[in-house]
Amino acid sequence: MSEYRLWFGIVKNGKITPSDDFKKSFQNCENAEPLPFSPSEVGIKHFGSLDAYFSALRKVAIDVVKKIIEHELKREDRYAVLLLKSLDELNETINLLEEKLRDLEEVKVSEVTESFRDRIAELKRLRRDVEKEIEAIVSKIAPNLTEIVGAVIAARLLEKAGSLKRLAEMPASAIQLLGAEKSLYKALSRMKKGKPAKFPKHGVIFQHPFVRTLPKAKRGKMARFMAAKLAIAARLDYFSGELNEELAEAVRKRYEQLRR
Amino acid sequence: MKVKEVLHNVVLLDRNGRKILATKSRYAPHYGEKKYGEFREWMASRSKLAALILKEYVPEIKEDWKILYLGAASGTTVSHFADIVEKGVIFAVEYSAKPFSKFLELAMERKNIIPILANALQPWKYSGIVDKVDMIYQDVAHPEQVEIFERNADFFLKKRGEGLIMVKARSIDSTAEPKEVFTRVKQRLKSKFRVLAVIDLEPYHKDHVAIHIQR
Ligand SMILES: C[S@@+](CC[C@H](N)C(=O)[O-])C[C@H]1O[C@@H](n2cnc3c(N)ncnc32)[C@H](O)[C@@H]1O
Repeated sequence: MSEYRLWFGIVKNGKITPSDDFKKSFQNCENAEPLPFSPSEVGIKHFGSLDAYFSALRKVAIDVVKKIIEHELKREDRYAVLLLKSLDELNETINLLEEKLRDLEEVKVSEVTESFRDRIAELKRLRRDVEKEIEAIVSKIAPNLTEIVGAVIAARLLEKAGSLKRLAEMPASAIQLLGAEKSLYKALSRMKKGKPAKFPKHGVIFQHPFVRTLPKAKRGKMARFMAAKLAIAARLDYFSGELNEELAEAVRKRYEQLRR
Repeated sequence: MKVKEVLHNVVLLDRNGRKILATKSRYAPHYGEKKYGEFREWMASRSKLAALILKEYVPEIKEDWKILYLGAASGTTVSHFADIVEKGVIFAVEYSAKPFSKFLELAMERKNIIPILANALQPWKYSGIVDKVDMIYQDVAHPEQVEIFERNADFFLKKRGEGLIMVKARSIDSTAEPKEVFTRVKQRLKSKFRVLAVIDLEPYHKDHVAIHIQR
């Protein structure tokens, strides 16, 4: 009658069919409803004692976690960066198509222009999904960066730096200018030629409302402060992954101060 | 050094007037905390459970309890929990791989920890692993904290089992007043559980409360 999936096998009508690969069954022991018993109550029969049961469970759990972690840590930041690049492409495409659609509609509304519009709506849904996924991944692999600047800007920083590792190795002054490479380069080459040059004060982080909404004279200060905290955040995210709530709090406070 | 036991393996040390919370532990430090002989300092700034105990609210956790711990991170609090339930088991759930790699070191050292890398919003996924437990401890700083707790309680909390929920106002609603958020959370929990206490974790953790419930 009822069948239950446990990490070490399947229980049906009170009978256990042990799995031949515990690591696999451990990752595949979903039950839609709460079990009417504890897995250990059944396990004790199969493993002989409660001690034997828990030591077997512990060993399998550790092996599985090890395997997943190895796998995940290698790839997640690349995945986020690739998603972000796709998001940029999507944005560009959507804007372009919308423009064309407007032109078309001005001349004639036909079946083709209708289906044109539907496709654009579809792309917009895709864009939302991509944004959501970026949010999910980045807040997981970089909780401190995300807490300070939000997932999309955090992803942008990862993209400009190349990886979480590289971002973690950067000094705050470089993080402050990430994404402003072009204007930095321009300024440098003007300077070399002996011409007056204007050096950029902020790159990607300028997109953040805490910088953008301040009066011009205060933006540099805010950007510098934020970059300093982001540098710490990137290191925390890379080396421990644990959230330190004080960082974002400090940034918020600084903003409140400067706003006055 | 004066030693006062407040809970199984949990002590308040008095070192020349300075009060230090610690657990009796034969293990080495896990997160940079100090050791005083056989005691491992339990830092309230790093652990909300330590903060709760220092605020003189001491939940009666028994040494043989089974615990479901949601949001285990790198194991700061779990390391002390494992000292307390030395004859029990901790099922520790975390969904982020990064802090869990540090957690793994702890799980390999201790015999009473089962690490589970999963999303706590989906308890059905680990329903074939976790036993019915005496307590669910939750510290997830997630917008759907209450939902997470309710779902896990449905699956795993024994009748009359207890829950300790560390509620972070800002991750539930960053615009509302913390007080308001806490009231909302409490009301919602009340419809399913007995709320035993709500304790503010100031000054150790700003805008956080611990809610102690019983099924
Ligand atoms: C404030 S930290 C926990 C600190 C830890 N309890 C301690 O005191 O040592 C919150 C943790 O919850 C995790 N988390 C958030 N949402 C989660 C979910 N849905 N499932 C599992 N873990 C989650 C985060 O990845 C983070 O590691």
